[in-house]
Amino acid sequence: MPRIELNNISKYALSNIDLIVEDKEILALVGPNGAGKSTVLNIIAGLVSYKGEVYFDGKNMDRVPPHKRGIGYLFQDLALFPHLTVAANIAYGLKIQGYGQTVIEKRVNELVDALHIGKLRDRFPNNLSGGEKQRVAIARAVAPFQKILLLDEPTSSLDAQTSKYLRAELSTLLRKLEITAVFVMHDLLGAEEIADRIAIIHKGRIEQVASPTDIFFQPKTAIVNEFIGMPNILNCDVCRILSSGLIEVMCGEMRIVLPYEGTTIKKIAIPPHDIYISDAKPPGPELNRYTGIITEIIPLRSIVRVKVLIGGNTLLAELPMETFVEMNLEKGGEVFAIVKLRRLRYFET
Amino acid sequence: MDNKVTFKRLTITFSVFIFFLYVGLIFSLFYFFKGPLFLDTLLSGRTLFSLRLSLFTASITTVISVFFAIPSAYALSRFNFFGRQIIDTVLELPMIVSPVALGAMILIFFNTPAGGFVQDHGVQFVFTVYGILLAQFITTVGIATRLIKAAMDEIPARYEEVARTLGASPLKAFLTITLPLSKKGIIASSILTWAKALGEFGATITIAGSMAMKTETIPIAIFMRLAGADIEGTAVLVLILIGIGLSVLYGVRLLVDRKSYV
Repeated sequence: MPRIELNNISKYALSNIDLIVEDKEILALVGPNGAGKSTVLNIIAGLVSYKGEVYFDGKNMDRVPPHKRGIGYLFQDLALFPHLTVAANIAYGLKIQGYGQTVIEKRVNELVDALHIGKLRDRFPNNLSGGEKQRVAIARAVAPFQKILLLDEPTSSLDAQTSKYLRAELSTLLRKLEITAVFVMHDLLGAEEIADRIAIIHKGRIEQVASPTDIFFQPKTAIVNEFIGMPNILNCDVCRILSSGLIEVMCGEMRIVLPYEGTTIKKIAIPPHDIYISDAKPPGPELNRYTGIITEIIPLRSIVRVKVLIGGNTLLAELPMETFVEMNLEKGGEVFAIVKLRRLRYFET
Repeated sequence: MDNKVTFKRLTITFSVFIFFLYVGLIFSLFYFFKGPLFLDTLLSGRTLFSLRLSLFTASITTVISVFFAIPSAYALSRFNFFGRQIIDTVLELPMIVSPVALGAMILIFFNTPAGGFVQDHGVQFVFTVYGILLAQFITTVGIATRLIKAAMDEIPARYEEVARTLGASPLKAFLTITLPLSKKGIIASSILTWAKALGEFGATITIAGSMAMKTETIPIAIFMRLAGADIEGTAVLVLILIGIGLSVLYGVRLLVDRKSYV
């Protein structure tokens, strides 16, 4: 299974990109639209010409055509062959590469079982739902024992629920196949669920390549910090395990209660849009609710960023302009803040 | 709402007018239609020869035209290369130049040293069945290419990219993906090419002449009968041509209207 190495690659928006994807690694390319993410995939696949060098396991691939690179590619639009049944779509690569009927049947059966699409074998792509099409396309891309899999926004066209399930299945499948995978996503949360490492790409440059945890807790550049939503990073001093599966952490004088997942917590990242602020005391339990003092108000085009001093920590909160206008917030004034629990990230030890 | 209805009626009226224009012309043929004469004319040796010649030449021309049109249509649809726009424009030559002018151009070519060489050392085109084939080929190959290109343009190049990543060479990707997907378009284009070749007159008469029992296709036979003031015979031959043409076009409509994959 190969290690992919891109040396000094330039094409369209991309300028002088260097990137290494280790053997069997799952790397996510994340960045805004037009950053050049899909171009990186097309270069690895050899579908476009480029300046620079591409190596698989140290072997130069620049003159190797796409059909000899041993790559599976899941395109964003899936492009299932409309004139072939599900089984024939999956078998296509195997047939083209000259595998025998026994191998083909065995492999197709294996993949339709792994992706739960056995019942769809004889259907045509026109009669499949979005999620089913996605599964068939994944099976087709990996079927001919490809060593590398490229995935362009593999779950972007699906509803949130289907997308979540598929990400989990994809993650299991990729690890089971022991394949080197590079995928493009614009959603950082989704990427985090599958990838070993994330490369943040912006305007044709790679800003940072690191594990999801490092991206959140040690963003290297202002662009990465902005892209990950400029989270508030809080250092946790004391951890106390509570009954009922919860853990209490103290960040300065701020007490945060989180679900206990078997480890103590060293740092917490809270995205600004996950801090709700209000000029009136909100009803409900006191858990993860605080009072603070506004230290700065930064109005932007459609949002307003508000810095609030809570228990010795200055937190950045973000709220829509309309909400801000409806409330009576001013610098030095007291404000109520609620930290939304489900989107918190922890740096565990 | 009222405006909508009025507009709808107006547009339908125009389409009905065009329909009656053609149907009226077809019905006027029956004014000169006499049952026994129809059979006599249809079964006469000369008509049967013309019919056979027309069907034979149109079929051969279609095979040759489509054989050339498929790869060129693919190139024009998929690749950016120097001169693509020029080739694309020249394909319309048979549509913008009258068939007689096309025939004249071919005839003039055979009067050049290069054309003379072909005639002397290759195939004799002038006043032969090969001339009919050449005239029909020249008038149809551009249109066939254009029609097949339109069918291939409908098929996203992405399918071929997927096939390439799955191990297919460019030729295999073309043969296993693009060709089957454009099959309906190719068949429809072939039938239209065939119908166009069957009705070809101007270029054919210019190159192959109008020799009875030699180069007399159905359209030429119609011209000959009309020139001889044989209105009844002309009406019969026109009806034969219309019968073949309309049934073929109806077949195309059935084929094209069927649900497409893409």
